[in-house]
Amino acid sequence: MSNTDTAVKNPISTGRRRWNATDLGLIAVFAALVAAAALVPGLAVNGFGVPITFQTLAVMLTGLVLGPGRGFAAVGLYTLLGLAGLPIFSQGRSGLGILAGPSAGYIIAFPIAACVVGWLATIVIRRTTKARALWFFLSAAVTSAVVVHSLGIVGIALNTKATLGQAFLSDLVFYPGDMVKNILAAVIAVALHRAFPDILVRRVRRSAAQPAKA
Amino acid sequence: MPAVTFDRVTVAVETDNTPEPKVLIDAVSLELTEQRIGVIGANGSGKSTVLRLVNGLVQPTAGKVTVDGADTVRNVRTVRRNVGFVFTDPLSQLVMPTGREDVELSLRRSVRNGTERRQAAEAALDRLGLLELADQSIYELSGGERQLMALAAVLAVNPSVLVLDEPSTLLDLRNRELLRRTLAGLDQQIIMSTHDLELALEMDRVLVIEEGEVVFDGGAAAAVDHYRMLCRDGLPAGKPR
Amino acid sequence: MRGHGFLLANYVPGQSFIHRAPLALKFLLVFGCGLASFIVVDWRVSLAVLAGLCGLFLLTGAGLKKLWAAIRPLAAVLLVIGVFQWWMLGAPTAARIVLNILVCVVAASLLTATTPVQRLLDGVVRAAGPFKRFGADPERFALTIAIMLRSIPYIAGTFADVRDSARARGLERNPRALILPVFITSVAFARQTGEALAARGLGEAED
Ligand SMILES: Nc1ncnc2c1ncn2[C@@H]1O[C@H](COP(=O)(O)OP(=O)(O)OP(=O)(O)O)[C@@H](O)[C@H]1O
Ligand SMILES: [Mg+2]
Repeated sequence: MSNTDTAVKNPISTGRRRWNATDLGLIAVFAALVAAAALVPGLAVNGFGVPITFQTLAVMLTGLVLGPGRGFAAVGLYTLLGLAGLPIFSQGRSGLGILAGPSAGYIIAFPIAACVVGWLATIVIRRTTKARALWFFLSAAVTSAVVVHSLGIVGIALNTKATLGQAFLSDLVFYPGDMVKNILAAVIAVALHRAFPDILVRRVRRSAAQPAKA
Repeated sequence: MPAVTFDRVTVAVETDNTPEPKVLIDAVSLELTEQRIGVIGANGSGKSTVLRLVNGLVQPTAGKVTVDGADTVRNVRTVRRNVGFVFTDPLSQLVMPTGREDVELSLRRSVRNGTERRQAAEAALDRLGLLELADQSIYELSGGERQLMALAAVLAVNPSVLVLDEPSTLLDLRNRELLRRTLAGLDQQIIMSTHDLELALEMDRVLVIEEGEVVFDGGAAAAVDHYRMLCRDGLPAGKPR
Repeated sequence: MRGHGFLLANYVPGQSFIHRAPLALKFLLVFGCGLASFIVVDWRVSLAVLAGLCGLFLLTGAGLKKLWAAIRPLAAVLLVIGVFQWWMLGAPTAARIVLNILVCVVAASLLTATTPVQRLLDGVVRAAGPFKRFGADPERFALTIAIMLRSIPYIAGTFADVRDSARARGLERNPRALILPVFITSVAFARQTGEALAARGLGEAED
C-alpha cells in the first residue's frame, strides 16, 4: 500500500494495453459466473413477473473485481450470448424476445452497471487503503440505484404499459434484496482482491512503476 | 539439441507484506543443451519459476532467457511456438470438452484449413495411442489419460522443447509408468521438474534448486544424492528419522 | 462432480440431416425460438412447437437420455415457476411460460448436440469477421466464448464441491464459507486457464 500516492498520479489506462490470455480467461469465467448465478432458482416476486436472482450480485462483483473494461466485456458477453439464444438468462430464458418483456431494462443495464461500478472500484483502489468494503458497497449501491433500477423501471414502464409510478413501486420490491446482495458483493470483492492482489491493483501499480524502472 | 540459456536471471516480485520485493530466482546462469534435463528441489524452492521462465510465463526482472537465440521477452511469440508447456493439473490445461477438440484448438493457429486440421489432430492423438479416448469427455478420463491428452495437445504443434512441471505428481504408479514410457519415446528436448526421484535418475542432467539458486548441477545420480543430503541436513537434529 | 452436463447437450457425432444442415440455419432456429417465445400467446402452440423440436432432437440419434439431461438441471426451477405463475396468473399462462422456456432449451441443445465445438468456433469467427475493421479479433472472441461455455459446468460443479467441503468442516450455515470459495476457486481457475492458453500461444493479441 506504500505507493498508492504514486499510483494516483498515473491513471490506469496509460496507452490501453491489449488484453492477454489471462484477461480472456477472467472475462470468460466471470461471464460464466453471471450465467450460473442467473440459474440459481429465484422467485418472480413482484406483480410484473421480474424474477429475483443472484445475478445482480454476480454483475456487481464482476465490475468490482475486473474493473470497467474487462467487467463490461464479461457481462456484455453474457448478455450477447443470452440474446443470441443460449438459455442463460434468469430461469433459463433466452433470445431477443426478452427485450420485449418486463426484464428488458435490467438486462440492458447489467453491462453498463459492471462498467460503472468497475470504474468506481478503480478509484476506490487508487484512493483508499482502509474500509474498502464500505467504499465498494457504496459504489455498488450508487450504481444499482442510478443504472440498474432506473433502466429497470423504464423497461417495465415501456414493455408492460404501466405508468412510471406503478413501475417504480414494483421495482421497490428489489431494493432490500439488492442491498444485501451489494453488501455481499463488496465483502467478496475485498476477499478476492486479497487472494489475488494483482488482479486489478497491481495493474494500476505496475503501470505506475514501469517508467521508474526503465 | 536446441539451447536454452539463462544469463544472470533474477526474478523478484512485489508483495503486500514486505516493503522490499521478494527474490524468487537469484542471478541464475545456465546453458541447457542436453536432451533430458531434470529439476528437483524442495517445495517453494523455485522449480516452477525456473520452468515458467523458459516459456515466458514469468519474465526476468533482470538478466535474460533465450531459447534457440529467441529472447523470452522480446520474441515471446516465437518462444511459445517452440516451447510446449505441460502443467501439473491437466484439467486447468484442457479447455475443451473432449480431447480431440482440445488438440484441434492447439492447431487453430498453425493449420487454418478445417479438414487438414482434423487430420493433423487425428495423427497427434494416434501418436500417443489416444484415438479411442479422443471423443470421451475429459472429465471421464483417468488422471493419467488426461495428462497424456494434455501432452498430445501440446505435442500436436510439434514444439522443439517440452517443459513439464511435475507431470506425474497427481498420477498413480501405473499411470506414472505410462507417462514415463511416453516421454522416453520423444525426440524433443525435455525439461521437467519432479518430486519423483526415480524419474529424476533417468535424466541426462539434473539441477537442484534451493531458495532460488542452483545449488547443484550435474549427473542425475550425484544430483539426487546431493538433494537427499540437503534434505537430511536441513531438518533440525533430534526429529524422528 | 466437476463435469456434469449442464443445460445444453454435448456434441453427439452423427450423420443425420440435422447434423449436415448449415450452421446458420440451425442458429436461425435457435434465434427464432427465442423470439417466438414472446410472440406466442397460446400454450397449445408452444406445446406443438416443443413436440416438433423434441422429434427433431430424437431424429439426430442423440437419444432421449441426452434430451432429458439437457432439461433436468432446470426441472426444479421450472416446477417452481410453473406453480407460482399458476397461482398468480392461471394455468394457461403458466403452461405457456414453462413450455416456452423448454422450447428455447431444446432448440439450443439441438444446435449444440449436432455441431462440434470447432465448427461453432469457425462459425463465430466468420460471423464476427466484418467487425475486424473496428479492431475486433474474431479468433480471440470465439476462444473466449468457448472458455465461457466450458466454465459453466465447472462453476456449477464448484458450487457443489464447496458445499460438500463446507459441510465437512461444519460450516454449512455460514454464508461466507459457502459462497466465497466458489469465487476464489473460479478466479484461480480463470487464471490457470489463461496461463495454459498463453503457454500454448493461444489468446494473445496479434500485433
Ligand atoms: N506471484 C508470486 N508472488 C509472490 N511469491 C511468489 C509468486 N510466485 C511464486 N512465489 C514464491 O516463490 C517461491 C518459489 O515458487 P515455485 O512455485 O517456483 O516453487 P516450486 O519449487 O515449484 O515448489 P513446489 O514443489 O511446491 O511446486 C515460493 O516461495 C512462492 O511462495
Ligand atoms: Mg511447482
